Amino acid sequence: MTLGFQPGSGLLHRAHPFTVLAVALAVTVLVFVLPAPWGPIGSCAALVALAFLGRIPRALLTAGIIVLPMWMFSFLLHGVLGGDALRAITLGARLTAMVLAFLLVVATVHPSRLVDALLARGLPFSGAYLTSAALQAVPRLRDRGRRILEAQRCRGLRVRGSVGLRIRALVPLALPLVLGALSEVDERATALEARAAGPGVRRTPLDPPRDSLADKAFRWVLAIGTGVAVLVRLVG
Amino acid sequence: MPSQLLALIPLAVGINFALGYLVAALHLPVFLDTVGTVLVAAIAGPWAALLTGFLSQLVLVVFGQFTLMWFLPVQLAVALYAGFGARLGIFRTLRRTILAGVVLGALAATMSWPISYFVFGGVTGGGVTVIITLLRSLGLSLGESIYLGGLSSDLIDKTFTLVLVRTILWSLPQRMRVRFPLVSKTIGRA
Repeated sequence: MTLGFQPGSGLLHRAHPFTVLAVALAVTVLVFVLPAPWGPIGSCAALVALAFLGRIPRALLTAGIIVLPMWMFSFLLHGVLGGDALRAITLGARLTAMVLAFLLVVATVHPSRLVDALLARGLPFSGAYLTSAALQAVPRLRDRGRRILEAQRCRGLRVRGSVGLRIRALVPLALPLVLGALSEVDERATALEARAAGPGVRRTPLDPPRDSLADKAFRWVLAIGTGVAVLVRLVG
Repeated sequence: MPSQLLALIPLAVGINFALGYLVAALHLPVFLDTVGTVLVAAIAGPWAALLTGFLSQLVLVVFGQFTLMWFLPVQLAVALYAGFGARLGIFRTLRRTILAGVVLGALAATMSWPISYFVFGGVTGGGVTVIITLLRSLGLSLGESIYLGGLSSDLIDKTFTLVLVRTILWSLPQRMRVRFPLVSKTIGRA
């Protein structure tokens, strides 16, 4: 279950990709260093408010679907079997905050915008290509896997039955998928060479995201605040 | 970075995900989310595999696998183990591959234990959490339940991963082996 990029013009959409990413990373640290259970619960509340401010309430629904089984297992494992309901709540709130923070990133930062931001900061072409090509390869190969599965089933491959039978069915599915992908390597390598994608090559992004003073100031405040919270936790 | 490697790594990341789709469709009790990484380790070496593992975990976030990104150290360890193991000949015979898979499973379970315990309290989602809950209900401590749950899953998954990669390497047509010269060394056939 995932959300994918949600087009929009809310607060988080307008922010620089690094700012949204910084919020997610800060939350990931803060849910562990702020006092439990109110720290993680407060982080969740702040992220819910951010989802509304950013006009992406759908992220809340998706986060709910992802974390619901986690809350159930948390209560079963720590509340019922471990007799520590407070730990169950803390754990559930931590996981919810982390999931929601990264859902907000995924919903508001388009991958190409993030790559442009990285390129503007001096990321070599190879790094930018690897990131964007991997993001494109995942749905493409997953779709190819689905088509291979359908084709093999049409040819009589049995995908139901005992575990042994299903394990044997995996080889005629995995081999065409992997060999097909490997056969693409040469073609892609030639295309990359033709575009002079050698070592140390840098490209200039056409329209990099604007990194405003407010974005930079917010990231500094967030970094200092998180650092102080970690220090207080370590010393206190 | 050579352009062949630049072309190979994103495809390997895609393989990591696509095989996950196939095992889910077959209802198999494995993840096979490191096959692409191990394959790169076998045909391009440990450092390329390390990059593949890193990129895979990064892409996981975009595709909604938020909890798995914490297991980046495990993915990187698998990459290095497979890369150096391939040089030592773990893909040459089936017996070696199975033995290496068992060791890798134990290594992965041991490395993922502190992450599962301290970060997630055993609630990582999926079938492993069900096993952990079952073990806990049998009276084992939380730490023991998490370790045994992870071990049972990783032993099968990593052994299966290495055996599948070995099958792929041995099935590569000659014209493809020529393109990846390390394959012949990895499987011990010049």
